[in-house]
Amino acid sequence: MNAPGITEPTEAIARARAGDAEAWGELYRDYAPAIFRFCRRALPTREDAEDATMEIFMKLKVKLVQYDATRSFSAWLYKVAANHCWDMLRRRKIRQDKETDDLENLPLEHPDPGQLERLIEQRTSAEVRKALDKLGGRARMALVMRYYSDMSYDEIADALGVRRAFVGVVLLRARHELRQALEGNAALAAGGAS
Amino acid sequence: MSNTPEEKMKHLDEMTLLLYIERQLDRARGLEVSAHTQECDSCRTLLRAMERESRLLTRAMLEEDEPLPSRLAQFQERARKSMQWIWGVAFGLAATGAYALYTTYIQPWQVQLEKAGFGGSNLLGLVMYQGLMWKGWQSMITLLEVLAMVTLAGLGAMFFRRRIRRGSALALVFAGFCTVLAMPAPASATEHRGGQNPTVSKDETIKGDVYLSGERVRVEGTVEGDVFAVGKDIDIDGHVSGDVISAGRYLRIRGTVDGNIRSAGNTAVISGTLGKNITWFGDAVTVDATGKVGGGITMFGGTLAIDGRLGRDILFFGDEVNVNGGVGGGIRQKGHTMIIGSGAQVDGPIHFEGDRPATVSPGAKLASPVEFKQMEKKQHYREGGYYVWQVIWAAAFILFGLVLIALMPKFSQDAVKSAEHYGASAGLGVLVLFGVPIAACIACVTVVGLFIGVSTFFLWYASLYFAQVIVGAVIGQWLMGRTSELWPLIGRMAVGLIILRLCTTIPHVGGWVKFAAILWGIGAISLALYRRFQPVIAPSMPSVPYSPPIPPNTTVGGPLPA
Repeated sequence: MNAPGITEPTEAIARARAGDAEAWGELYRDYAPAIFRFCRRALPTREDAEDATMEIFMKLKVKLVQYDATRSFSAWLYKVAANHCWDMLRRRKIRQDKETDDLENLPLEHPDPGQLERLIEQRTSAEVRKALDKLGGRARMALVMRYYSDMSYDEIADALGVRRAFVGVVLLRARHELRQALEGNAALAAGGAS
Repeated sequence: MSNTPEEKMKHLDEMTLLLYIERQLDRARGLEVSAHTQECDSCRTLLRAMERESRLLTRAMLEEDEPLPSRLAQFQERARKSMQWIWGVAFGLAATGAYALYTTYIQPWQVQLEKAGFGGSNLLGLVMYQGLMWKGWQSMITLLEVLAMVTLAGLGAMFFRRRIRRGSALALVFAGFCTVLAMPAPASATEHRGGQNPTVSKDETIKGDVYLSGERVRVEGTVEGDVFAVGKDIDIDGHVSGDVISAGRYLRIRGTVDGNIRSAGNTAVISGTLGKNITWFGDAVTVDATGKVGGGITMFGGTLAIDGRLGRDILFFGDEVNVNGGVGGGIRQKGHTMIIGSGAQVDGPIHFEGDRPATVSPGAKLASPVEFKQMEKKQHYREGGYYVWQVIWAAAFILFGLVLIALMPKFSQDAVKSAEHYGASAGLGVLVLFGVPIAACIACVTVVGLFIGVSTFFLWYASLYFAQVIVGAVIGQWLMGRTSELWPLIGRMAVGLIILRLCTTIPHVGGWVKFAAILWGIGAISLALYRRFQPVIAPSMPSVPYSPPIPPNTTVGGPLPA
C-alpha cells in the first residue's frame, strides 16, 4: 500500500516502540500530512480533521505495541484512522436516512453511459471534493477508505461493520450520492436509465 | 437511453462493472465481463466512464488542496506550552486551596480543640501543628533538610523531566512562597546548643526558642520560648514559657512549663507544673503526686499513671491507665486495663473499651460510673453486618470508579493498559506505595512545606481506591474482552470490582488480595502517569512540507489473477 519510494519505517517504529521521542517525530513528520488529508476527506469540518489527526497519533502511541511489523504500516495506520473517524461520525450520528436502508435493495441497473461520461468530463477535482461534503457519513467514509487509502473490501467491511458482500453496494450507492451531489440529477443518481 | 428493454437486459449492470473495475470478480466472471465489453459498445462506454469516475475520485482525494495546518505541525510544542499553564494553574490552585482549607477549617478546628483541652494533641492535629514545630527552623540548615530537598528535587525531576520549564519552576516557587508565607514567622532569635550535656544553667535566661541536643539535656534556667530537645535524658527543672518538643528516652519535668509537651520517647515523669497539654508517643507517662497538668493528655503507648492533678481529659490508646489522682475532665480509653484507685477523682464521664471491666476502688470519686465496652474479638466476617457493609462498599467503589472513568476516560484506559505490564506495574507499585508517603512526610519538614506534603498524601490515599478500580477494570476485561469504549469499560470495571471485593472478603487471604490489588493498581496508575509525561513526538517539530500521498490508488479493471 506504500507509494513508490516510500519504504516501511521499520527502524523508526522499533525505536518509537522503545520510547524514542525522535522516532515519534519521524513517524509524525512522515505520516501526519497523509492522515490529516484522510481525516479532512472523511470528516465534515477542518477543525474535526485537525482534532482527529491529533487524537489518532495519541492513540497510535498506545496502539503501536499491537502493530504487526510483518504487515504494511501505512495500511495499519489507515485502519486506525478509519476506525477513529467512523467512531467520531457515529457518535455524532452523522448518518443519513438512506444509510439505514436495506443494502440489498440496490437495483441492478445499466445507466446511460453517455450521461455519466459527460458528467465525469465536466467535473474537476475541486468540485468532487465539494460534493463529498454533501454525502452521508457512511458513503463518504466508504469512498475515502477505498479511493484515498486503498483499503481492501475486507478492511472496509470491518471498519463500517457491514458484511463484505455489501461493500460494493455501499460504494456504488456512495457513487450515486456523489453523482447526485455533482449533477443534482436524481435520475442519474438513482442509477436508472431513463 | 437508446436501448430497448430487451437489449438493456443483456447489458451488464453497474454493480457488476464496479466489481470488475475493483477486481472483486472471480476469474471466470471477470473473463465474461471482459469479453462482453469487447462486444458491447454501451457497456464498454459505461465501464470507461466508471473507470474515469474512479480516477477522478482518487485524484480529488489525493490532491493536496490545503497545507497541513500549523496547529498540527506544531502541535507538540503547543501541547507542551499548554501543559506549562496547566502545571502553573494546578500548583497555584493547589497551594491556594490548601491554604484556604487550612485557614477556614483546620485552624479554627484546632483552636476549638485547644480550648477543649485536646488542641493539637491528636495525630492530625500534630501533623498540622507542624507550623509551630517550624518555628526557627528557617535558620537551621540541617543535613536532614538538605537530604530532603535533594530527594524532593530528584522525585520532581523524575516525574516532570522534560517538562520542567519556566512555568513549572515558577509554579513551584509560587507554591513554596505560599507555604512559607503560611508558616508563622519566628518570634525571636533562636539558639542552638549541642555537645555531651547541653544545659541552660540556673541563672540563665534565654529569650526565644532553644534547640538542645546531646546525651543529657538540662534546662535549669528560664527559656522564654519553646524548647526543642533531643537526647537520652531530658530534664526540665527550670521555667519554659513555651512548649517542650522532645525526642528522648527519658523526660522529666520538675520545673514549670507554661505550654504543651509534645514528645516521643520511652518514659515521661511530670513532677512539676505543666500549663497545657501532653501529647505522648511512647511507653509510659506518670504524673507524680506533686505534678500538675493544666490541660489534658493524649497518649499512644503503654501505661499512663495519674497520681497528681490533671485539668482536663485523657484520651488513651494503649495498655493500661492507672488513676489515683484528680482528673478535671473525662477519660476515654481503648486498651486492656483500667485501674481507678481510692485517691482518684474524675469529674467527667469515663468510657473504657477493654478486655475486662475497670477495677474501681470503692473510695474513688467518680462523676459517673465507668461505661465499659468489651473489646470485640469476634472476627468481622462472622457478622451479618459485615456483608451488608461489603455490598455498600462495593456499590460505593463502583460509583467512585464510574465517576473517575467518566471524568478521565483516556487516562483510565491508559492505566488499564499499563496494568497489563505486570512486572513494571508491580515494581512501580512498590516504589510509589511506600515511597510517596515517605516523600510526603519529608516534604512536610522542608521549605516546600506542609501543604504539598499533605496534598501529596491525600492524592496518594485517593489513588489507593483508584488502584482498585483499575484492577477491577482489568479483571472485567479478562472476563468480557477488551474494549476501548467508555461505557463497556465502566461495565467491565463494575463486574471486575465486584469480583475483587468478593475476593477481599475471603478470611485470612482477603487482606493480601487487597494489598496486591492496591500495589498493582497504583503501579499501573504511576506507569500511565509516567507515560503521559513522556513527549508524544519529537520535542521540536519543524513545519511539515508537502509530502506525497502514501497510498496511490489505481483501480485497474480486470479479473483477479488466477
